[in-house]
Amino acid sequence: MIEVKNVTKTYGKKHNAFQALGDVSFTIPDGASVAIIGKSGSGKSTLMHAMSGLDRPESGEVVIDGRNILKLNQKQVDMFRSHRMSFIFQSFFVQANESCYDNVSLPLEIANVPARARDKKILAALEAVELLDKKKSRARDLSGGQKQRLAIARAIVNDPKILFADEPTGNLDSATGAVVEELLFGYNKNKGATLIIVTHDAELAAKCDMRINIKDGVIEAIETKGKAK
Amino acid sequence: MKTRDIIRRAGNSLRHAKIRTLLTSLAISVGAFTVTVALAAGAGTQEYTDTLIKSNGDERSLSIFAKSDNQDQTPKEYTQSSSQSSQDAGTLSDNDVAKISKINGIESVTPTYNLGATYMTRAGEKKYQADISIKSDRTMITLEAGSLPSTNEIPAGKAVVPDEYLGVLGFKNAADAIGKTVTVHFDKLSRLGAGKDWAFVVAAVNKQSSLQLRYQPKLQISASDGKTIYDYQHAGSGEQNSYGSVTARMASSADVDKTKQAVKDAGYDVFSLKDIQQTLFQFIDVVKWGVVGFGFLAILASVFGIINTQYISVLERTQQIGLMKALGARRRDIGRLFRYEAAWVGFLGGAIGTGLAVATSLLNPWINTTLGLESGTELLLFKPMTSIVLVLSLIIIAVAAGYFPSRKAAKLDPIEALRTE
Repeated sequence: MIEVKNVTKTYGKKHNAFQALGDVSFTIPDGASVAIIGKSGSGKSTLMHAMSGLDRPESGEVVIDGRNILKLNQKQVDMFRSHRMSFIFQSFFVQANESCYDNVSLPLEIANVPARARDKKILAALEAVELLDKKKSRARDLSGGQKQRLAIARAIVNDPKILFADEPTGNLDSATGAVVEELLFGYNKNKGATLIIVTHDAELAAKCDMRINIKDGVIEAIETKGKAK
Repeated sequence: MKTRDIIRRAGNSLRHAKIRTLLTSLAISVGAFTVTVALAAGAGTQEYTDTLIKSNGDERSLSIFAKSDNQDQTPKEYTQSSSQSSQDAGTLSDNDVAKISKINGIESVTPTYNLGATYMTRAGEKKYQADISIKSDRTMITLEAGSLPSTNEIPAGKAVVPDEYLGVLGFKNAADAIGKTVTVHFDKLSRLGAGKDWAFVVAAVNKQSSLQLRYQPKLQISASDGKTIYDYQHAGSGEQNSYGSVTARMASSADVDKTKQAVKDAGYDVFSLKDIQQTLFQFIDVVKWGVVGFGFLAILASVFGIINTQYISVLERTQQIGLMKALGARRRDIGRLFRYEAAWVGFLGGAIGTGLAVATSLLNPWINTTLGLESGTELLLFKPMTSIVLVLSLIIIAVAAGYFPSRKAAKLDPIEALRTE
């Protein structure tokens, strides 16, 4: 369960101060698929950063499984991220020079998974996104859809409980986008992991269990399964 | 992250920037090359000088002279009564020999006997003039045939004949002379009597070596034979028991400097080969460290190259750093990633530089021919330990150079880094 309580984040100082998040609160149950919807500049990315411990809001709490991650020290937050959550980005951020295998291996190395245990996990993740035959190819030789699938393999290789996806289909055509969506929702359903998608794509958002509409740093509406709250 | 994984990833990213890595390493390798060659040339020259000195004298022997009476070195004003030989250093007597023998560390003392042979000959050959010298120290001599005991001393009754004497003495070659007898005739200084013949068995034949600074062909005999002949020649001449200098051999356990000082304290002037050796070594050291200094300047210059390259690398890989941080990589891990990259560059530079330097040792035969040195001499002498230490220090220097770029990488804000699109 993720509880976001009264989170406020301000950028800049004094006269130039800009409130990116203003007193945001909501609760996400375990295993849910959640869409954070809003226009660019609405604060949806800031919210994702706050929920993942990448950013530190000046007030409020983000309680994940009973622990307020905003109270943890840097080392503990890093540990938390490497073991419990993972990310998928609009522009993939795969390492172009490295092989698919090495790309997927990175989170395991960061999480200090012993070398012996890695191989099985990497191959399983590549198989899940149907890139097993490309394991030795360099990431730069892949198509856009393949790159995002590789990014998904990298995101799920260490079995995260929470998966953040920032505009995962934003750079893809609808056909490849559909494959990526299928993979994300498949992981969400099969592993019971919480999936949090940041998007302004209403169609994608409609497929989620829960939608958080955000505008100018404030929550406008939270809908669950098509119903307004 | 595990160190092994970081080293592997650092190596990978360098492989992906081959040209840049190579150029940065080459800058370091220039310094590494200079330092290695300078140290090798220093070591080689020192070793060569050492052999050179050993072939020209014995470092464990001291030449001892009577102390000159006047410490004042300025010329004296001339007066009618002035002694003609005011510059004479004086001579040593058998009493002095006995006194020096008792000094701690001295093994044996041999006066410098001056012998004058009338002629040398062999059965059936003509008579020839001969230079005779007594070998009282353990100086190495280059032999063409035959052998000497390991102490390089000539046994009593034997002689070492120079290559140049072979023909006139009727030997076919050097090997032919070994074991044959040479007769030398000595007259008394007083010219009384008919003189006396001494027979020597040829133990070895020597030849000139390019290591010898001064070479005169001489028939060399043992110190004990020398003394017998000296006593015979000088008997009744009034000049007996008076030597210009004596040669003292030190026990192998004795310290050269201490023994030298002890002899000095006993009231003698002393000169040892070590004095020359020290002066030469000092000179070699000055030149060597001068060149090494230039090498270090080159290394210093290359340090800025590393810093520059690493800064660019950090900028280029902002996204990678951001991603790693998002995935939970710690600041320390990111910093290490970039420092290990610098370490790789330092290692490569050191390996290339020392590798090329060691390859120059292939020039040794050419150097020897050009300078006319003994073949087999290694003027460029590489010591593996030096190279290892140098490469290790270059790695440390490179890591230090990578400190600021790696800190910049570690401090990067992941949110900012991932916004770069």
